[in-house]
Amino acid sequence: MNLWVFASMKKYFQLSKLTLQEYFVYRLNFVLWRFRSFVFFLTLLFFWLAIYGDRTALLGYERAKMLAYVVGVAFLRSFVLGSRSADLAGQIRSGELTKILLCPIGMFSFWLTRDVVDKLLNLFFTFLEIGIAVYFLRIPFYFPQRTETYLFFALLLVLALFLYFFVSFFLSAFAFWTEEIWATRWLFGIIFLEFFAGAYFPIDVLPGWLQGMINLTPFPYLVFFPLKIWLEQLSAATAIKGILICGLWLIIFYRLANLLWQKGAKNYGAFGG
Amino acid sequence: MVRSAVRLIKIWLMVSSRAAQSQLLSRWAGVLFLVGKIVRFLLFFVFLFMILSSTQNLAGYNREQVIFFYLVFNLIDIMVQFLFRGVYQFRFSVVAGNYDIDLLKPLPSFFRPVFGWTDILDFITLIPLWIYFLLFIFSHHLFTSSTSLVLFLLLFINSLVLGFAFHLFVCAVCVLTTEIDHLVWVYRDLTNMARFPTDIYQKGIQYILTFTIPVVILITVPAKALLGLLSWQWIAFSFLITGLFLWGSLKFWKYALKQYSSASS
Repeated sequence: MNLWVFASMKKYFQLSKLTLQEYFVYRLNFVLWRFRSFVFFLTLLFFWLAIYGDRTALLGYERAKMLAYVVGVAFLRSFVLGSRSADLAGQIRSGELTKILLCPIGMFSFWLTRDVVDKLLNLFFTFLEIGIAVYFLRIPFYFPQRTETYLFFALLLVLALFLYFFVSFFLSAFAFWTEEIWATRWLFGIIFLEFFAGAYFPIDVLPGWLQGMINLTPFPYLVFFPLKIWLEQLSAATAIKGILICGLWLIIFYRLANLLWQKGAKNYGAFGG
Repeated sequence: MVRSAVRLIKIWLMVSSRAAQSQLLSRWAGVLFLVGKIVRFLLFFVFLFMILSSTQNLAGYNREQVIFFYLVFNLIDIMVQFLFRGVYQFRFSVVAGNYDIDLLKPLPSFFRPVFGWTDILDFITLIPLWIYFLLFIFSHHLFTSSTSLVLFLLLFINSLVLGFAFHLFVCAVCVLTTEIDHLVWVYRDLTNMARFPTDIYQKGIQYILTFTIPVVILITVPAKALLGLLSWQWIAFSFLITGLFLWGSLKFWKYALKQYSSASS
């Protein structure tokens, strides 16, 4: 039994190692990717600093809390929205998926392992970059006062991580039927995701009717809700409600991704593979 | 000179027509891209309104002026994407070795890399945007004189030249390293800072946005010209910076081409 577990773990370690090595093949691209993430953080930070000016509060957010939101967005973009499962679509279209299908590894485990490596690597650099920026720019950062906040935040973070994985997998799986996968991913996986998740600005600065519409989607539970919990702007009941809804979305997208994968795999022609 | 420019424009129109036909083959993708572009534009618009309803003004600019800056940002940004979309596909061309064939054609070496693909969807977005922009500036009496209008158009063209210089620089980096995917996005992220008047940022940030990737000259300067808020020093400086960037990019491009080894083919 122990030997089987060890052998099973070994392949995931090997896959993690290979994923990590891939990043260092195109080193300049990786450096530019990190630079881009840092620039994105700085542009958002300087924008909000400029908007606040001498004001202490705006749009229902104290200055320190808004800056904490911006720092939080940088971390959650790395941890929740960082992903490699988007590559699945390209592999389906090019036929490269066949190589993975022949390996003794489950498709979800394969992409989840690559996702975890991606997240850990990006998180490491994000800590470094944002840490330096926070230190030198003397950005006031908000830490929660209540212990249960950390618990709620951690719980929602784990759910959000898996929710994003299955949303991303679900979008990629459309590549079994259509060549226009980039358009679908761009609209749902970038535009809707980033705006509705609150990756540019908190959703509650928008008009009520628009917030209502956005809250009907799974996206706010990826960035906005975890950060609202961190900033202690939600009651315990609302936080629990948010966690439950996120869990529900997770189940829905897990089933949808599974369904699409099962049907798509039967439809897979391995063209060019 | 004029004849060769006309010839290049004819070739560009032909290349653009082929690109449009290729894009319109997948109508569903076109619809999704258009929806995304419109949603992004509208959401930022709503966000702008929400901020202005709280602050009343931004760095001394009133609501109409801030919206005007946002519209100019969109016009220049989309126009640059529309014209220089080829850069996004250049890496593939270099890696696959297809660029060798382009080099054999009687065209400037940068023609294919920069102008090789024209985004028809950006063109479709531009038409209503220009109409709205013109209606907006006339209905709110935002331009002070016909001189301001002429100056705006000149600086608008200056911005396109600057956009070209930066995209050419990115292509040169691609020839040397075959890694440009994120470099062009760094440019996009920085230009996004000019969605709002760049005067709202601290002086240090404004210097960076003027001298590194000159976002201020790209977007803020033409907008200010139409509002009649620009000194002649700034006008001269804008043309000078663009000239320097263009000269630097062309030099760097020539250097990169000398290093091109056509390894992929």
